[in-house]
Amino acid sequence: MDGIEIVDLKKSYPLENGVLTVFSGLNLSLRSGAITVVLGKSGCGKTTLLRLVGGLEVPDAGEIRFHDARKTAFVFQEPRLMPWLNVRDNIQFGLRRGEIDPDMTRRIIATVGLTGFETALPSQLSGGMRQRVALARALVCRPSFIMMDEPFAALDHFTRESMQNELLRVREATDASILFVTHSIDEALTLADRIVLLAGGACAASFEIDMPHPRDLTCDELIRTRRDIMAALSAPN
Amino acid sequence: MKLRKRILPALAGVGAVLLAWQLVCSTGVVNAYVLPSPGRVWQTFLKMTASGELFTGIFVSFCRVLKGFFIAFALAFALASLRILVPGSEPYYEYIVQFFRNVPPIAMIPLLILWCGIGETTKTVIIVLASFFPMYLSIVKGFTGCDPRLLEVARSFDYSRGRAFLKVVLPSAVADILVGMRTSLGYSWRAIIGAEMVAASTGLGHMILFAQQMSRTDKVIVGILAIGVVGRTTDWALGIVIRRFAGGTAQNGWN
Repeated sequence: MDGIEIVDLKKSYPLENGVLTVFSGLNLSLRSGAITVVLGKSGCGKTTLLRLVGGLEVPDAGEIRFHDARKTAFVFQEPRLMPWLNVRDNIQFGLRRGEIDPDMTRRIIATVGLTGFETALPSQLSGGMRQRVALARALVCRPSFIMMDEPFAALDHFTRESMQNELLRVREATDASILFVTHSIDEALTLADRIVLLAGGACAASFEIDMPHPRDLTCDELIRTRRDIMAALSAPN
Repeated sequence: MKLRKRILPALAGVGAVLLAWQLVCSTGVVNAYVLPSPGRVWQTFLKMTASGELFTGIFVSFCRVLKGFFIAFALAFALASLRILVPGSEPYYEYIVQFFRNVPPIAMIPLLILWCGIGETTKTVIIVLASFFPMYLSIVKGFTGCDPRLLEVARSFDYSRGRAFLKVVLPSAVADILVGMRTSLGYSWRAIIGAEMVAASTGLGHMILFAQQMSRTDKVIVGILAIGVVGRTTDWALGIVIRRFAGGTAQNGWN
């Protein structure tokens, strides 16, 4: 067994008048080296799942087992850059002093297309550039597992497309496992090796997509998968 | 551009005040003892400068302010940091701090003279009491106001509590810390003059009080002007240091 295994995960939040149960026993395994995309309606627990796996929240019960060496990185929905650090220092934020490799940093900066902006402050960058810095900050740590919470949601169509290609290139180069949360079915179909649908606090359906990248979203197979996903999402919980 | 937008209007403002002052004196509306003319004050200033009396006073007060100010900064920083680094420690000292915040330092003078005499310790303690609270409150505000989303980034990279404090909390609080330091420096100057008027034989406060007792209103005015100029100069010098370390960002609340 490799990858990550989520066993009987339970999580709920106390509300003023009652309890909001997000997961009441979620079971899921994430294959090593694959891009697993979590899809679901708003409020179904996509972000909570990511935060639980990333250790940013503690589950009420259940277990998250990491079977590989665990070097993780998180890309949030917003860039969350340190406003006082320039691009280079922001990218190296996750590294310890001894881990900083200037060549590696330069390469990553080039990969995300920010060469020439090394000394710029986040306030001097566009939204897309900031998100690319956030992606580079995760990649420079050479993680074996990357968690991404709707990282391209705020980007325009073209930037989003180039970032998706970037992510696929990185995956090819590093063989990292990626857990990607989105509410965009097209994004899921573009990126995923496996799509997991969350509904009612559990895994409602899962779709394997064994197709090479780049993908044509208008091909029969993906149109069929898209229809199945839409049907599963529209089904009452 | 800066000359036309900032310096000329400032000079015009000062010039208008001097002109009004001179007019009041020339018309004889006010007795020369109550309000000496600008020329007379200028002559006194030159004499006091030549004799070294003015600079000795400034130097003594300045050293006291610096000493008290930095002790207060160290204390404020340590207590505010403790609150962040040891969660749950705050209630142990917060009520005591808030109690003393509401006690004017000048009210402590009789007790301080009794305990510490009229030496330097009393004056240092008064400056510490006056400048500690604005700095403490600003530093606490800076530390507790740190964006939790940035702290989450640090957590996602396995930062320890101490490392997150140094790399995220502290830099994000710089603007608040500096604004607190600026406010406190002004408070320190106010406090030292008060303290020197009550319990001192040197310094600007003592110089002003002594001049009043000798009916030398011109010397009193020179002393007041000196306090204003020295206070503004230290404020300006702190501004340079801040621009150097805070990167001159518009968001640092320092203008």
